[in-house]
Amino acid sequence: MKCEEFEAVGLGLDRESAAHGLDPMEFAAAMEHADTCARCAALQESWQDARAELQALREVTQGAGAPLRVEMRLRQAFWAKRRALKIRSFALTGTWVLASATLLIVGMSWWNWRIAQENISLQSASTPLNAAEKKEAPTNTNSALVTVSEVAENIQHDTASDTTLVAANDAEDFTLLPGSLPQETGDAAVVRVRLQRGALGELGLPVNEERAGEWIQVDLFVGQDGQPQAVRLPR
Amino acid sequence: MGLQAKQNVGPGELRILEETRDDVLLRRAAKGDEDAFTLLYRRHQAALYRFALRMTGNAWASEEIVQDVFMTLMREPKKYDAERAALPAYLYGIARNRVMKHLERLPREVALDEHNENGSRGGPGVINAVTPMHWAVRQERLEQVRAAVLELPPEFREAVVLCELEELSYEEASQRIGCPIGTIRSRLHRGRALLLAKLEMLRDVPRRYSAAR
Repeated sequence: MKCEEFEAVGLGLDRESAAHGLDPMEFAAAMEHADTCARCAALQESWQDARAELQALREVTQGAGAPLRVEMRLRQAFWAKRRALKIRSFALTGTWVLASATLLIVGMSWWNWRIAQENISLQSASTPLNAAEKKEAPTNTNSALVTVSEVAENIQHDTASDTTLVAANDAEDFTLLPGSLPQETGDAAVVRVRLQRGALGELGLPVNEERAGEWIQVDLFVGQDGQPQAVRLPR
Repeated sequence: MGLQAKQNVGPGELRILEETRDDVLLRRAAKGDEDAFTLLYRRHQAALYRFALRMTGNAWASEEIVQDVFMTLMREPKKYDAERAALPAYLYGIARNRVMKHLERLPREVALDEHNENGSRGGPGVINAVTPMHWAVRQERLEQVRAAVLELPPEFREAVVLCELEELSYEEASQRIGCPIGTIRSRLHRGRALLLAKLEMLRDVPRRYSAAR
């Protein structure tokens, strides 16, 4: 081995050669060279001393660790971050809940509006049909119900003749309650109830105050929505 | 040996070992478990601090670097991929970047007068000195060695710190730095030569070998 070659490996000779990948043959050659070359032996000796000093430095700093304040600062930061995360997740959850509720309300409103629209279109479709039916069978007095258009005509007729006894009617006709629209009679029902004449006033019909306390029997024409649509006084 | 050790460990102990694994602790910390984070910090801070201290020679800077490393881990725990490397290597990578940035920022200076409150400047109890005079001489020499290490260019210093002070093998050092073993070997050789030259110059009586090439 030459001096140049020794210098290439010589500074690491004191370390575990195998661990550093130094070939045992190379190691033996280097040691042999150090025995014969004074300069390289001196180099190796100098390095041994330097390594001892490095070792001392290593031992001095071996027990060093970050001061406790670093841990404190980090824990504080961690706590702050966790708090921020909690607030953020809470806000996020709240936002989602609000958004879902809004969506639900909008959906329900839309659904109701759609059903109402369908009802209106059904009504408008059924009204001409009923009118046509009435034209075909104008004297169908035996039927329990009459069409709402007919009731509306009766109301108009009563109003025109200025009759005072509104609750009374002739035959089996119903009087359409004010504010009610003529409806399809398919799912409607006729309910017979006993009430005071004054209660007719609450349904929007004019009532003679002197006879308001009288008990009378009334047939109520109840529509699909459960609301009374028309009324008649049975004979 | 390892198998024997595994066989001697009961299922309960295995579960505990599993729970205290770095990646498991990191996952827990990411979910807000402060104890897991503290455990991780206590496990790795000393090694990182020593590395930073030996590289910078500055206790304050080392403290900042360690704090920075763990803040990064806290803020972006998902950046660590357990399949790519072990957590210590990942943390060393971050610490190394911070150290290099610190060294780039600062002008070359040697903090000879700086007092390290964490034992890098040892007291009488640290060095087994025979007399106060002997202790003082050793302290002075230690400071010279520290200064000589700190005067090395960063890449050589890193190799010397890892292989001489941290006592890592070439392979471990190369993994930590992320360069081939040959590079580590050449940097270490160059670093040793420079260090030796500096130390020889600082000796009262310059000795046999005094030329760093």
